[in-house]
Amino acid sequence: MSVLDFLTPATGPDAPVAESPLAPALAAAGATFAVRDGWRVAVDFGAPAAEADAARASVVWADVSHLRKLELQGAFDHDLGTAVRRDDGWLLPLTPARALAIGETMPAAPAGADAVDVTTQYAALTVAGPAARETLARFCALDLRPAVAPPAALRPGSIARTPGIVVVEARDRFLLLVGAAVALHVWEVVADAGTHLGGRPAGLEALASTEEVAAHA
Amino acid sequence: MMRLAPQAGERIDRARPLTFAFDGRRVEGFAGDTIVSALYASGRRVLSRSFKYHRPRGELCGCGQCANSLFTVDGRPGVRGCGEPAREGMVVEHQNAWPSLERDVMRIADRVGGALLPVGFYYKTFIRPRRLWPVYEKVLRHAAGLGRLPKRQAEREWRTEYRRRHCDLLVVGGGLAGLTAAIEAAERGADVVLCDEDAEPGGWALVDGRHDEARALAARARELGVEVLTRAPALGWFDGLVPVWQGDTLHQVRAPRHVLATGALQQPLVFPGNDLPGVMLSSGARRLAALYAVAPGRRAVVATVDDAGLQDALALRLAGIEVVAIADLRPDAGGGGPAAYVEAAGIPLLRGATIVRASGRDRVQHVTLAPVGPDGRATGAAEDFACDLLAVSGGLQPSLSLLLQAGGRAAYDPQSACFAVAEVPAGMAVAGALAGEGAGAPVATPPACATDGRRGGKAFVDLDEDVTVKDVEHAVAEGYDSLELSKRYTTVTMGPSQGRFSQIPSARVVARATGLDLETVGLTTARPPWTTVPLGALAGRPLEAAKRSPLDARHRDLGATGRWAGDWRRAYDYGDPEGEALAVQSDAGVIDVSTLGKLLVRGPDAGELLDRLYPNRMSTLKPGRIRYGVMTSEAGRIVDDGTVCRLDDETFYVTTTTGGATAVEQTIGWWQATWNLDARVTDLTQGVAAMNLAGPRAREILSGLTDLDCSNEALGYLNARHATIAGVPALILRIGFVGEVGYELHCPAAQAGPLWDALVAAGARPFGLEPQRVLRLQKLHVIVGQDTDSETTPVNAGLGALVKLDKEQDFVGRWALEHAAEQAPDAVLVGFTTPGGELPTEGAVVLHEGVAAGQVTSARRSPKLERTIGLAWVPAELAQEDAALSISDAGRTIAATVTTRPFYDPDGEVLRS
Repeated sequence: MSVLDFLTPATGPDAPVAESPLAPALAAAGATFAVRDGWRVAVDFGAPAAEADAARASVVWADVSHLRKLELQGAFDHDLGTAVRRDDGWLLPLTPARALAIGETMPAAPAGADAVDVTTQYAALTVAGPAARETLARFCALDLRPAVAPPAALRPGSIARTPGIVVVEARDRFLLLVGAAVALHVWEVVADAGTHLGGRPAGLEALASTEEVAAHA
Repeated sequence: MMRLAPQAGERIDRARPLTFAFDGRRVEGFAGDTIVSALYASGRRVLSRSFKYHRPRGELCGCGQCANSLFTVDGRPGVRGCGEPAREGMVVEHQNAWPSLERDVMRIADRVGGALLPVGFYYKTFIRPRRLWPVYEKVLRHAAGLGRLPKRQAEREWRTEYRRRHCDLLVVGGGLAGLTAAIEAAERGADVVLCDEDAEPGGWALVDGRHDEARALAARARELGVEVLTRAPALGWFDGLVPVWQGDTLHQVRAPRHVLATGALQQPLVFPGNDLPGVMLSSGARRLAALYAVAPGRRAVVATVDDAGLQDALALRLAGIEVVAIADLRPDAGGGGPAAYVEAAGIPLLRGATIVRASGRDRVQHVTLAPVGPDGRATGAAEDFACDLLAVSGGLQPSLSLLLQAGGRAAYDPQSACFAVAEVPAGMAVAGALAGEGAGAPVATPPACATDGRRGGKAFVDLDEDVTVKDVEHAVAEGYDSLELSKRYTTVTMGPSQGRFSQIPSARVVARATGLDLETVGLTTARPPWTTVPLGALAGRPLEAAKRSPLDARHRDLGATGRWAGDWRRAYDYGDPEGEALAVQSDAGVIDVSTLGKLLVRGPDAGELLDRLYPNRMSTLKPGRIRYGVMTSEAGRIVDDGTVCRLDDETFYVTTTTGGATAVEQTIGWWQATWNLDARVTDLTQGVAAMNLAGPRAREILSGLTDLDCSNEALGYLNARHATIAGVPALILRIGFVGEVGYELHCPAAQAGPLWDALVAAGARPFGLEPQRVLRLQKLHVIVGQDTDSETTPVNAGLGALVKLDKEQDFVGRWALEHAAEQAPDAVLVGFTTPGGELPTEGAVVLHEGVAAGQVTSARRSPKLERTIGLAWVPAELAQEDAALSISDAGRTIAATVTTRPFYDPDGEVLRS
């Protein structure tokens, strides 16, 4: 056993399913769950077609806290303010000495970087759709206009009055990372803003119908 | 009926009639009407009663800036009727009059109030006899105020939105100048937001015949992508952030550049009777006619100091209103075109004259015009005119507020008789009437107060606050002889219109009374908000940012009482704190401590880093061992405490207090920037859950859920092990805050729920913060921030053994602690009991020889020990076993006895078993 094994949810037949910090909110919103790679995820909210429509016409928000996250410390020669697309995820250079790697599967640590699994330290939400930017404007003062924050823009800052990170995954698709302890609060804020603008929560199935995450080397 | 024939450029849509109720009576109007324009069209002239004297008031400005037409609309008080659109079915009610607008019993204040309600009356009257003040206060409070909030909370709440908007250029003001600026910028590719207070952009051009041009510009702006916000006043300037209030949305607009085109407001004239219904600004009268096809009167007299008043008079005449006379204070009436047109139209024009009195019963019926001297007194023959409308123009005052808030400067310009822009901050431009464009024709300076010299008749400087010329003069005479002082004494400019129509007139009165010029008198400080805005708009959405443990839902399901602990919601108890505490001591309990700060410190210099941060030695820990540590400031004061566990040669796991993690991480980061040791810190607070399993059966329960050898030999006190518990990977810390055999289990937050469920199913009873406090108090375990304050050192908190002054390294606070160690502390933290069983309040004072000498920091009743126990700061000479204490608590004196050793398991045998 590694000394840091207690940071990573166990997988395997004897291990309980890992749950997002948003699990209670997802259940309350009527989520249909499935287990994928040891995590209980919301695949839809009872109306996958309507969720897909909302993703195209207004705004949807989906819990993607199951994304694996690795904190890297070392020396990084990347533009701060720009996320680097890697395989099925992103490398987010936060300072010259600290970065976050995110992906559907656990990212590989670059050579020479010290890596710590922080998957459960952050909750993650994807907000997508034509009204996504307007939704974010209801609780986030970051300048996310397309001309200022194009796809792959990386913006650490305040989200719903808590420290967070915004990644512009595509023109109208945003990945929000916030502390796991404030996930319920942020979900509530996003839902409050998005519902008022005609949106709805969506599962992973509907998320797949949103615009593709831009491919960046 | 006062509706005129269709006007070119009118805003109303005669094809869409509507009706609404005003004070229970049906009022007809059209889509596009405001409440006031519809009321005026119906013939109503009295719209409100004034604040202090309850005098009848009619419309003044016609553009949503004055406070003469404040109504309660559909239950919401304080709505400006001259700007609020009329809607089908709306319910409009008057404010500040009872039982009706027409017959208001409080009108008596006008009859007798002068003596009883002088300026600053609340400092002079209604204060004796003192015993009657509660009665006076109740009456005055009931009489004051404008409008009533709905009684039911649900009716006082409605959804407001916050919207953040970044742009390249914000244009404030949508008149021709503002529209032109927005278009030019948008044509160059800028992202532009334009906000305007009116229902549509266009400004004065909508009124003076250039409506087609204005509307074409507005359409062009929208085509170019300019975001045009209408009925959207800019509230103020906050370091480049300009909040714009629109409907129920507060737009927070941030832009690197701004164009202010906020225009200018026509000013009233001051004379006896200037508040009668029917006395209004000539621009307001013209606006009612042009935009809403409403005749504000049938027979008008105009008094002006500039060409604008003459132009307004001509426009009223063209709209079909008889203009019986015009008084122009300028001896040559400006000498320009408008005067010539007036004379060509056959309207009597009295040059060098002004209005010196208006009279009538509840509305203007007669006016007196006369030439006046510099002091405002009539100097020549006066002429009386019968009329039902007196339209006045006291000159234009640029709307400077936003500019001044942003750091601009204004200076008095005698040529235009107004305060004009003198300096514009960087990154900002001014345009239109604000910048003085269109000015040039001569303007006469109105007197502070014009009068025919006859007694009687109040001349108002501020209609909102019912402040008269005499009030300001008395204030100056009483020593409040600057504009700012007289403002605070008289409340002039403090009303809903915030000085838009009273600042300049009051400045003239102060200038006359003090003999100073207007430049010296100056303006009062410009402050936000520019217009009234509901508190809910500023508060934003009522969503509370709380940190919650991954087990939060389980606590709620168990009926836990939630309380704040810093910015976390925690389970305080589960309904039976005494029972929960007893269960821990007789069986087993489990408490969620996920809120503890958790930091990973890694690297070759990790041990060195911790040795420099803590007074004790951490680098000597072996892997798998734990040490309790307090972190001190450079002044040797305790700032946090927690445990340090060494995981391997280069990895340490540090816990902090709930709420301490961020500060500790920042502290470490700050020192790392100085020392640059080869060590890295990662905050794991929110990603790792933690729960403390404690009690006589804790070992048995844990053993049942893991393959790990949990015997005392294999996992003794202050040791750590890794294990899988109920299928969940965990780090087990054998520590004991609550005094029993205890295991703090740290695991991934995503699998905390199943681990908690397994512990509870195995018989561990959940317990909350309150029983935890009792249990730790039995052991005299200190809570940083509860039992310590900013002056507490480890020495006087009884933790001196943790301070290793023989360490080779320097460490934070070393110098201070060396000095502290050389001197005996004055006060010491000790335990106490109360033989009589009284429970003192936390914070109660400890007396020594009758003088306050310490305080109680913690006190509880222990169900196990069946007595009251506590911690208190006492003078060092009392810090002896069984010493007697006297505690003063809310008028009673409690006898207590000092305990220097833990109440329970003083030698730690249970803890280490």
